[in-house]
Amino acid sequence: MPASKKKTVKSKTDQIGLPDETMLGLFSNLLKTRLLDERFRKLYRQGRFAGTYFSAVGQDASTVGPTYGLRDEDLIAPSHREIGASVTKGVPLDKIAGQIYARESSPDKGKSHPCHYGWKAKGVIAPSSTLAGQTVVGTGCAMGFQIQKKDNVVLAFFGEGATARGGWHEALNYAGIYKLPIVYICQNNLWAESVPASLAAAITDFSDRAKAYGFPGVTIDGNDVFITHKTAVEAIDRARKGDGPTLIECKTYRWYGHSEIDPADYRTSQELEDWKSRDPIKFAEKTLMDIGLLTTTKKEALVEQFNQEIDEAIDAVDKDKYADPEEAYNDVYSEQFPVRRVDW
Amino acid sequence: MKKTTFIEAITEALDEEMARDEKVFLIGEDIGIYGGVFKATKGLLDKYGAERVIDSPISEVYIAGGSVGAAMVGLRPVPEIQFADFITPSMDQIIQQMAKLRYRSGGQWTCPMTMRVCCGADIGGGLYHSQTNEQWFFSQPGLIVVMPSTPYDAKGLLKSAIRGDDPVIYFEHKRLYRWIKEEIPEDDFTVPIGKAALRKEGSDVTLVSYGLMYHRSMEAALALEKDGISAEVIDMRTILPWDREMILESVKKTSKAVLVQESSKTGGVMAEISATIMEEVFDYLDAPVTRVCGLDVPAVPFAPPMEHYFLPNAEKISKAVKKIIEY
Repeated sequence: MPASKKKTVKSKTDQIGLPDETMLGLFSNLLKTRLLDERFRKLYRQGRFAGTYFSAVGQDASTVGPTYGLRDEDLIAPSHREIGASVTKGVPLDKIAGQIYARESSPDKGKSHPCHYGWKAKGVIAPSSTLAGQTVVGTGCAMGFQIQKKDNVVLAFFGEGATARGGWHEALNYAGIYKLPIVYICQNNLWAESVPASLAAAITDFSDRAKAYGFPGVTIDGNDVFITHKTAVEAIDRARKGDGPTLIECKTYRWYGHSEIDPADYRTSQELEDWKSRDPIKFAEKTLMDIGLLTTTKKEALVEQFNQEIDEAIDAVDKDKYADPEEAYNDVYSEQFPVRRVDW
Repeated sequence: MKKTTFIEAITEALDEEMARDEKVFLIGEDIGIYGGVFKATKGLLDKYGAERVIDSPISEVYIAGGSVGAAMVGLRPVPEIQFADFITPSMDQIIQQMAKLRYRSGGQWTCPMTMRVCCGADIGGGLYHSQTNEQWFFSQPGLIVVMPSTPYDAKGLLKSAIRGDDPVIYFEHKRLYRWIKEEIPEDDFTVPIGKAALRKEGSDVTLVSYGLMYHRSMEAALALEKDGISAEVIDMRTILPWDREMILESVKKTSKAVLVQESSKTGGVMAEISATIMEEVFDYLDAPVTRVCGLDVPAVPFAPPMEHYFLPNAEKISKAVKKIIEY
């Protein structure tokens, strides 16, 4: 068993050392994620799609950074606030928008729920809504990779609230025993819907939980996309080599409610303003500009390019129709067991 | 030909499928070094190694959900739940992941796994080692639910389950493990999922059951012969999706049905069979469809007289048959 260890990585100093291309790539994916996320919020308020929307604005660096650079065969085991992982993994924007709009072209043909993105070709697992559910399934995927001697890895994302679930503990316990190729990423955004982290656990740093399972846990600044990337790359390399899992806790914050119907009035405006001043996008932008990798003109060009891609994706799903309601009968079983149609 | 017990048939099926397909692996509590608490996996660790016969920690959530994940990346997991009573921690993974993965991903992912669940009473197991609980899964589309009653079906259905592309809950009744034995072919064979077995032809009444209750129904049918009552006996074998055609055709012929199930009466499998008979072949019925079931109490009580009082048996089934024959 590996010796349990925990280290805290400070922000701002550790990002140096990443190739220029990586730093720009991280910023681009972060920017694209943010523009898409804010667009969906706007479209929801316009009543353009049904249900609700779970924004990840504010905590987007904690999904974009770790996902950047993964292979197609590596898997993302998401929850519902990982739009950044889908974007960065390269899921086509019209597939992401399709999931939100629940149209015929959606990967699930409109069956599951907005924000439950799943696209197999790019290794994003379609999630259930049970929190930490995919932590268990993702650990099973890692077990499957290990049994088949494949060097793929799994990134499992969840919030700090989900770490109170029994299944979460069973999964991490198992992954520790067998040194499975998986990296667990806790997006500690301080609030599990309306319940503060202090009522979810008696510890402050959720990475402490790793100690119980015999693998390293690390707490980092989740709003620094360069740090989230660097830390994850180290953990992913470890996992791929067969040295086992890592639990990475990203301290971060969601700017908006649990979903668009949540006014988030359980927290103070001071807390929100403090975190907004640590905007992951602004931080990344400033870092790149300070070292001369980005100019205002270049950034504006990226914004224009991404907005155009988003316009095209939204336009495509907006024009798409809902699947025939009889689609409800499909994908229950294999073709061997067709579902009986009702008479009325 | 030698006679094979019910549990030997299960071991043989696991062994043969593991030899046939390296993607098949087992995971569960005490299944490796110990060979399973009932010895269903005896000898398989030595033969296939610890990567394919995994002694899991006491983690039913992981046994279920981890198997779903392994199935997603190309394996064919055969997890074991040691007692159906202890399946409750894994319900989230079974209901929300195993049953819905294909549906929620628009068919991008499938879940070819077979969860073996040791179930059933009449073994003195008490409240927490006697439950069957098949009704919980019967009401969850997306799952296949089977419960064999003979060594031949135990082997053939397990092979079909492992080879198929759907998630299967495979209930094995522990009362049958060493009680029921029969000669079965040595050559490879499978039993189709979704097809019931007509065990005995009859003309006066149709008895429908599965698992241990099939044997109790057959005992009743043989006793009823002596009273001049000809009972047709159907063993469902697959509970979901169930063989409507065979059951409805039989009821059309006999005009009477007694439905037997070991688990509690309310909300059980036979409530659905009964409602379907009423909906589809009402005009053929000569008497009310009647159920003989376990009691509507939390689970099977431990004290032997109370356990037997809980369970349907040949006498209770015969009584119900006679009542509707006289209707």
